[in-house]
Amino acid sequence: MVFLLRRLGFYLAAFIAAATINFFLPRLMPGDPIEIMFSSAGAELSIENLAALKLTFGFVDGPLWQQYLTYLQSIFTGDLGRSIKYFPLPVTSVLGHALIWTVGLMGTATIVSFTLGTFLGILAAWRRGSIFDVVVSVGAIFATSVPAVVTSLIVLFFFGFTLGWFPTGYAADPALDPSFSLTYIGSLLYHGILPMLTLCTVLTGGFAVTMRNNMINLLGEDYIVMARAKGLSDSRVMLWYAARNALLPTVSSLAIAIGTVLGGSLVTEVVYNYPGLGNILYQAILARDYPVIQGQLLIMTVAMLVANFIVDVSYVLLDPRLRGA
Amino acid sequence: MGPLVRSLIRNRKAVVGLIIIALIVLIALAAPLLTEYNPASRVGRPHQPPSADHWLGTTRIGQDVFSRLIHGARTSLAVGFGAGLLITVLGTALGIIAGYRGGKTDEVISFFTNMVLVVPNLPLLLVLAAFIGQASPLVIAIILGFTSWAWGARVTRAETLSVKHKDFIKSAEMMGEPRWRIMTFEIFPNLISIVGINFIGSVIFAIITEATLEFLGLGDPKTVSWGMMLYNAQKASALSVGAWWDILTPCFALAILGIGLSLLNFAVDEIANPRLRTGNRLSRWTALIRSGEGRL
Repeated sequence: MVFLLRRLGFYLAAFIAAATINFFLPRLMPGDPIEIMFSSAGAELSIENLAALKLTFGFVDGPLWQQYLTYLQSIFTGDLGRSIKYFPLPVTSVLGHALIWTVGLMGTATIVSFTLGTFLGILAAWRRGSIFDVVVSVGAIFATSVPAVVTSLIVLFFFGFTLGWFPTGYAADPALDPSFSLTYIGSLLYHGILPMLTLCTVLTGGFAVTMRNNMINLLGEDYIVMARAKGLSDSRVMLWYAARNALLPTVSSLAIAIGTVLGGSLVTEVVYNYPGLGNILYQAILARDYPVIQGQLLIMTVAMLVANFIVDVSYVLLDPRLRGA
Repeated sequence: MGPLVRSLIRNRKAVVGLIIIALIVLIALAAPLLTEYNPASRVGRPHQPPSADHWLGTTRIGQDVFSRLIHGARTSLAVGFGAGLLITVLGTALGIIAGYRGGKTDEVISFFTNMVLVVPNLPLLLVLAAFIGQASPLVIAIILGFTSWAWGARVTRAETLSVKHKDFIKSAEMMGEPRWRIMTFEIFPNLISIVGINFIGSVIFAIITEATLEFLGLGDPKTVSWGMMLYNAQKASALSVGAWWDILTPCFALAILGIGLSLLNFAVDEIANPRLRTGNRLSRWTALIRSGEGRL
């Protein structure tokens, strides 16, 4: 318990650090911070709205520490201000809407590539040095070392433009109304194939390499030799003795991968014009919509912290030594 | 260094990786000799397909793609190696100091390291770059350097802890060697493989991130670099108008450089850990996925 409480305290500090960066950045830039943040809004903001927006970002009269407290207060009450581009929508609702798309797309991609990568890693380690191992290892190096933006563009070019098999943008046919009809869901899946393919290409390699290396370390252990000596079948030794234990460290990297889901698909969403968080962030950058950009940093930080905390909890559950500490 | 170089030459991955990198560096250095076209100026008609005059075609505003490619390689390499060096120096120094000094120093450094590791790197970079506005390659390299050292610091600290209690360190302490000398001349040489992996990984990370930031429109439009080539091609809808040469050229360049560097990285890792303990020794890749930096 003490261990978890200490971790919680640390995460709180990390969150406040991210909020502090958000607070000081506009103030550190040359020029008037209010000018920097709200110049593009200009005529669209009424005086009262601008005043409310300033209050959210702590631009109040008074010394700096007072401004800082005002800002922290609005963050902890869940008020991230209002978007400049989509004024008067609050940042939380702009991001909330996009969140569903990102979680759907990246969540599926993470699960698929985790499963696929893990199996490839198990088999590659089991047949270490075989052609299969070489193909998986080299393929993983290639897939992980090519930037996501390049993978996205190449996949889009071949399957979207040259072959013309799949749509080249949007999450679903824009002519259709969102509903639970077969046509709409079909269109959703059809539009999702290329982004999914890209993300799986990018993600699978990393999981495969991790799993392969964990397995290779374990295959030298005595209890594996023991299992073989008992005459157990190959598949049983591979899956129930080696893979099961090799999976533990990988599960923690899965939790962190889920934490980065929110930011992870940025480039893919931009290339495929997918209405998720990444695309919102991109649009916000183009429009210099600072409240949305800063809100994204906070939301992604929270996601990372929650994922880290889940890892901590699972370590406590899996490793009895930590429970007493 | 002798044995390290010899094992690098014997490793096939390392040789292929080194050849790729050497070729790209040579082409980048010789860029003005290889083309007569100014990469920034208009030298032909817009969106011409590859031909004898323009080997890789022209861009939307009539710039020569080949000239932009080889001149842009200079920017990508400079940012990659510059930021990579900064990341490695900061990470290694902080890691060794924290690991060797221990106590309060260690607590403070480790606290900041862990904090930087849990604040997601990419959104932080985007926020910084957005406020700076039209970041030049130099600015991008500097902000990358100051935000991405934490992984290296953590790994170096862990390695330092394992070296610290060896006898030769104890004897150096007995002889009254100053602490900075122990850290630089006794501990550092024993961490050379982890520092190498950190450096190459940081170079890859910096190249990818620079290209991504520029692709997202956060770069300085006057820059000639692979990231700006992608940005301009995407803005000119190169794919939908069929100008594949405009967008695929920087794509393949980035892919080949990335593959070359990571082949070298894997090779160094294999040489440093004969049993290939990359799972625990954290090849840059697993770590990137854990911290989410690499999935831009």
